Amino acid sequence: MSRNKTRFLIALSLAALLASSAGLYAGKYNQVVDIGAPLPQFSNLPAIDGSTLSSSDLKEDVVVLVFLASHCPWVKGMDGDLVKLVDQFKGRSVRVVGVAVNHREDDRLPAMKQHAVQFGYNFTYVYDESQDLGRKLGATHTPEYFVFNKQRKLVYTGAIHNSPAQMRTDGSVNYTRGIPTELYVKDAIEAALAGKPAPVAETAAQGCTVEYEKTGSK
Amino acid sequence: MSRLIPGLGLIIVLAIAGGFAEQQALRKQSKPITLQPITFAQWQQKLAGYKGQIVVVDFWATWCGPCVERFPHMVQLYQKYGRDSEIRFVSMSLDDRSDRLALQNAQEFLVEQNAIFDNFRMDEIVPDAFQKLGILGIPAVFIYDSSGKLRYRLTGDNPNKQFTNKDVESAIKELLAGSK
Repeated sequence: MSRNKTRFLIALSLAALLASSAGLYAGKYNQVVDIGAPLPQFSNLPAIDGSTLSSSDLKEDVVVLVFLASHCPWVKGMDGDLVKLVDQFKGRSVRVVGVAVNHREDDRLPAMKQHAVQFGYNFTYVYDESQDLGRKLGATHTPEYFVFNKQRKLVYTGAIHNSPAQMRTDGSVNYTRGIPTELYVKDAIEAALAGKPAPVAETAAQGCTVEYEKTGSK
Repeated sequence: MSRLIPGLGLIIVLAIAGGFAEQQALRKQSKPITLQPITFAQWQQKLAGYKGQIVVVDFWATWCGPCVERFPHMVQLYQKYGRDSEIRFVSMSLDDRSDRLALQNAQEFLVEQNAIFDNFRMDEIVPDAFQKLGILGIPAVFIYDSSGKLRYRLTGDNPNKQFTNKDVESAIKELLAGSK
């Protein structure tokens, strides 16, 4: 084999390797992670109750991270469903953690505390000012769910159910596709508890776009 | 000195009058700002009708904080490039069509911003609108070239590749330069 041909084949193999690793963690909608991705490590994120939370604190069989934003009408529209979901798994080995990452004032800790009281949050709610957790998981919307199994592998990402709900300006809630008929997160948790794959592994999360800080000018 | 004062006064009066006249002229040039409902199918037809022009589409909603923050930049871009007949600016609201107050707020916002370009609101269920448009979220800016081809699809779909106002202007400049 000629030297040029060998070089070409090496370059081609490298390119293929790069392409495959770049695509390894890119889902149908999520551009950063795919099903099977590990739970990113995090430490000492401040929670609204004054405590802190690290990934090593999570001992339950199933862990659900949900990205939230207090200002967002889609979060407000589906808060009732989230609170109900947490109640449904009370007493079982499931831990739901809300995560906020936006830097706008109406999404920071003081607003989070107020929002949690107003909407009856019944789960740990932390603030990640670094936005690292959101970036590592490719979370781009609120609310957006990530369900991890006992091995801390991602088994589901996306919306809570199939009828995204938005709070209207007058405070009423609009379930855009009527009463939800497919409860993606609930089904994924049940499946993970049973050691099975989620019936639906990825959906598009409908909501407000997460505001990541940019490097460079706006 | 006392002779100078009436002259100075006259200059000031003329300057104010001139400025007022200029503002009036600008107002006369402006068309009424209305938020027109449009279905996805109608939007496709409308887009096809824009062929021959570069089209900048700003997808926004009153419920989207960053969209509202970015909107004045779109108006600035219109003021800078929009007079050129080769380019057309469009705003497309993705407000909930069942939220009358939000639609009213959107209309008021456009007037407040002096958004004297084509202003539409997608007359679809919001998640359906997103699905049909092929976007996951807003803000998003689509820029079509004069042949109608979507050349720039600026979205927030990847946390590590967020678009900036600068990206929008660079894309417009590039397409304008290419069309001359």
